[in-house]
Amino acid sequence: MSDVTEVDQSELVATKAWDTSLFKRLLEFVRPHKRLFAASFTVLMLLFAGELLGTWIWRGAIDGPVAGAADAEDKGPYVSALLGWVFAYLGLVVFMTVLRYFETATLTRTGQAVVHDLRSRVFRHLQRLDLKFFDGRPTGALVTRVTTDIENLSEMFTSGVIVLLFDLIKVVVVLGILFTINVKLALITLLTTPLLIGVSLAFRGGARRAHREVRARLAKLNGYLQEVLNGIRVVQVFRREERVAGRFGAALDKYFKANKRTIFLFALFFPAMSLAVYVIQGAALWAGVVAITGKSLSYGEFVQFWLLLNMLVRPIRELGERYNILQSAFASAERIFQILDTHAEVADPARPVAIPAASGTPPHLRFEDVRFQYVDDTPVLKGVSFDVPPGKTVAVVGATGAGKSTLVNLLLRYYDVNAGHVSIDGVDVREVELEALRERFGLVLQEDFLFAGTVRENLVMDREGVTDESLQRALDAAQARDLAERLEGGLDAEVAERGATFSTGERQLLAIARALAAEPDVVVLDEATAAVDSATEHRIERATRELLQGRSALVIAHRLSTIRDADEILVMARGEIHERGTHDELLAKGGLYAKLHALQFEEAA
Amino acid sequence: MSILVRFFRRFLRYRSPLFLGLLCIPLAQLADVGITILVGNALDRAKDASDAAWMRHVLTWMAVYAVGHCVLRFYQRWLIVVVSRRVEIDMKRELFAKLSSLPFAFHDRSRSGDVVSRLTSDVEAVRMTLGPGLMYTLGAIVIVPISLAILFTIQPTLTLAMILPMLGMGVTMKMLSGRLHRFSVAVQESIASISHRAQENFGGIRVVKGYAREEQQAGLFEATSRVNRDNQVALGRARGLTHAAVNGSFDLTFAVILLVGGLAAVDRTLPVGDLFKFIDLTIKVFWPLIAIGWVLGMLPRAVASAERIQELLDEENPIQDGDSDLAPADMRGGLELRGVSFTYDRGTAPALRDVSVSVEPGQTLGIVGPTGAGKSTLLNLVGRLFQAESGAILLDGTPIEDLRLSTLRGTLGYVPQDSFLFSERYDDNIRFGADGELTDGEVDALIERVAMKDEVAEFPDGSATVVGERGVSLSGGQRQRTCIARALARDPKILVLDDCLSAVDTETERELLGSLRTAGEGRTVLVSAHRLSTVKEADRIVVLTADGAVEATGTHAELLERPGWYAETWEQQQRTESLAAAVESKISTEMGGAA
Repeated sequence: MSDVTEVDQSELVATKAWDTSLFKRLLEFVRPHKRLFAASFTVLMLLFAGELLGTWIWRGAIDGPVAGAADAEDKGPYVSALLGWVFAYLGLVVFMTVLRYFETATLTRTGQAVVHDLRSRVFRHLQRLDLKFFDGRPTGALVTRVTTDIENLSEMFTSGVIVLLFDLIKVVVVLGILFTINVKLALITLLTTPLLIGVSLAFRGGARRAHREVRARLAKLNGYLQEVLNGIRVVQVFRREERVAGRFGAALDKYFKANKRTIFLFALFFPAMSLAVYVIQGAALWAGVVAITGKSLSYGEFVQFWLLLNMLVRPIRELGERYNILQSAFASAERIFQILDTHAEVADPARPVAIPAASGTPPHLRFEDVRFQYVDDTPVLKGVSFDVPPGKTVAVVGATGAGKSTLVNLLLRYYDVNAGHVSIDGVDVREVELEALRERFGLVLQEDFLFAGTVRENLVMDREGVTDESLQRALDAAQARDLAERLEGGLDAEVAERGATFSTGERQLLAIARALAAEPDVVVLDEATAAVDSATEHRIERATRELLQGRSALVIAHRLSTIRDADEILVMARGEIHERGTHDELLAKGGLYAKLHALQFEEAA
Repeated sequence: MSILVRFFRRFLRYRSPLFLGLLCIPLAQLADVGITILVGNALDRAKDASDAAWMRHVLTWMAVYAVGHCVLRFYQRWLIVVVSRRVEIDMKRELFAKLSSLPFAFHDRSRSGDVVSRLTSDVEAVRMTLGPGLMYTLGAIVIVPISLAILFTIQPTLTLAMILPMLGMGVTMKMLSGRLHRFSVAVQESIASISHRAQENFGGIRVVKGYAREEQQAGLFEATSRVNRDNQVALGRARGLTHAAVNGSFDLTFAVILLVGGLAAVDRTLPVGDLFKFIDLTIKVFWPLIAIGWVLGMLPRAVASAERIQELLDEENPIQDGDSDLAPADMRGGLELRGVSFTYDRGTAPALRDVSVSVEPGQTLGIVGPTGAGKSTLLNLVGRLFQAESGAILLDGTPIEDLRLSTLRGTLGYVPQDSFLFSERYDDNIRFGADGELTDGEVDALIERVAMKDEVAEFPDGSATVVGERGVSLSGGQRQRTCIARALARDPKILVLDDCLSAVDTETERELLGSLRTAGEGRTVLVSAHRLSTVKEADRIVVLTADGAVEATGTHAELLERPGWYAETWEQQQRTESLAAAVESKISTEMGGAA
């Protein structure tokens, strides 16, 4: 039961709300948008000035025409004076309304500009990282870096840093003005406002924890729901509806409890804030009335004082919230910079060497005493040497874990060898520019991947040298022309999520077409093992033959036809080559391969 | 709207806290208005009174009102929001129970994302509107007329003039709400596509790097991110307009007060204290009005959400218990299909056409055919996950519609194609299969029977280890063996294997077949497969055609003699798979022997 309701504790870890070095790094992303930032700041400043001006108009109107008309017989001049104030106020209202639009629009634009840059930068950086980096992390966690973490930062830019800084200025300036109106009143306010700040800050930590807990519980709940929906067939056939409902109910109860805590905190927070405000207002009222009676304060001044007091409340009330925004933004920034600080070990060489064989000529591939391990002390390849002469095919067979796919990883430089050399035309692959190396390859993987987009986009992948013509040739060679034609829109039909439009066998044909489209010089083929029906099988065999024809190829082979046609077969076991030779040579040798072949042949007959 | 009233009945289950909470609203608002009046009156008397006792009186009452207001506000929110959360829990519980009972046909035709959103965002929309939404509305409904009435008695003209900008704001808000909604949907969607792109890229990173497509992918991602940025900016503009409209009309109200109130004050018809009341009550009235605008904006969504929830609750389930009181213990496991046809809701052509086949208790029936031939469909019909359209399926001579579902499904041990396991403890996954409670010993016996004993022993917490992303991740073969153990846990008369062996390599398949042979002893076994070697030993094999009809029925030997799909595919699969598979499987043993 614990597994359904348990909450990921890492979600609950608190971080610093301010980190100068992180902030400085973030500022680098602000620099290109300095103007937008300046504009945002100006808008906020003008708005503030307008707000202040408004309080003066009230004071002026009350102390001027309203007070002046008290004992006057002829009200006329006072009325027109008042109208002057009203017009000034109306002008101010128009000015403020326009600014209010820009307040939101410009701040959003500023924040989003920075965030877009940052997001693109992080993604671009991720693209360059080693496969080791990706193999060691769940995809979901990486996705979070370019989604949730970036969004947290966006909040920091739009409603965090600028506004917080601004709110501080606001509080200080308003307090200052209060002093110019009436020192005694201002002192009383200054003494009472810490109450408000105290409530806001006291609430901050609790609210944050409670919110996180609710979010985590909700994620759990929805995760379980999704899981049950995925397994609904199993639930129903086993008649376990009540069991899953029980678990869901337990998770719901925990979610409710977490919610209750949050509700309690918020129910307490708002009235507590109000009470603090009342105390401040009550104190000001009392002092104000005393001052008015003592003639040291005019009505106009009092009204201005009151209005300014209202201006103080909002920034202070939101102080806690801003603090929380900053805190989670810094946590996200830290994770993001961690990625930006990770550098690829498999990188372009300082002085790249060109591959001798020109494009269009199949190169010579060589593995020389190659040793490799993913994890310390667990060697996967223990000194493997073989050649793939230009235009020839080497097929690798062997049990799972024998190191077959590692050969592919090293040849394409997904990983670098620990010892020995992998070379192409006599040049170590580590001395070649990555792109120059990989663009010579045609790649067909076991679980080949189709991306969202049209069939054409998936086949072309924006590669130079892939033309309509070469694509058509590739589709023909891969026996895949009718697959695309069958779809509405042909090659321009959208591929369904995860390539569900096509069966496993069809996806293999498309992957072959994709590889062929760029007319590669080297082919890396990892044959899929899934059973397909005989018609598809025939097509795959023909397509494979077309693919390997005239190219240097390394094949992790499963099909007998592929194996039999190979120029050399490597029988691999436990990171070493156990037997090698052509099909006929291996049969003649009478070794393991021959024994197995005979066994199969008898069984099939 | 009436549908929301219907949903509100769920709130009435918590009558006392709800009504207490609702009662707090007007009282809290009255206390708040009381303070304004106190201050206003105090200002008026300030010029002619410096009476300490009077001052104390004012401040005491202000404290009473303030504390009262705060306490009431606390209870208002606490009581009402907690009730709304309780209702949320109730709705989710109800929906979940409904969902898990709905026939598979429903799940098959609806996207799981859509179903999840009914339980999440739809429930939330209804809760927000009927809980906090009602609270704000009621608050506004109380304070607005009261305040206006008070103001009206002070100065009718000014009050009427004040209402105008407020109405203006209401109209503007209403006009902008569509745009706001549109842009926020666009923003949500573009965030989803960012995450989708990233997901896809990181998942397919081998292809990306293998083709040196990093730059192209970064470009595509940047374009997606740019769309999001532009949507965000557009939403920011719409928000800016709203923000300007709300604040502009707020400020305009003050201009009106300044004008009309000021004129009255110049004429000495409006004392300063009253002017203060106008200002302060305007501040207090304005935000509740905005809240009403917010609730009104939510209403159409809440109605749509309520309808979608109701639609789900009203979903009918045609698959119901039969009248027969046979129990699983009474069943022997003989199964017969007579002329069974079936078409999916979403399909145009039938998935199965006139299929007739039978299997005696204890025998094994293999089901084969090309992709899409209806192999899984046939197995789903046997478990009544779907209802056969025509024809009959008989379990020991009784039509399965006449049996209680618990009897029918209690007879079946099902191993799904995708070897679905819950992210729960390993042993809980096996216990899942049993109708009663299993002892630890029984669970261990099952683990041993599917040859998982050694592997489970190596898990960090043994059989108590959590399976899945947050625990130990199992290989395809391990998952399948676990699914078999789960099916065996209910000691079924019939074991149903839905093409569960095609995703594993041949060696694992061989192992699994071995453990199945012992497991299947004395049971009827229905097994569908892509790989023909899986069904080789079956007592009878039915070959389905691509359009769901029966091509042939017979034993492996009989079908090989007969030219057709089976013989052809057998020959091809032998040719392509055997050698590499044999190399894979034998080499380690040979090497192990040599070493």
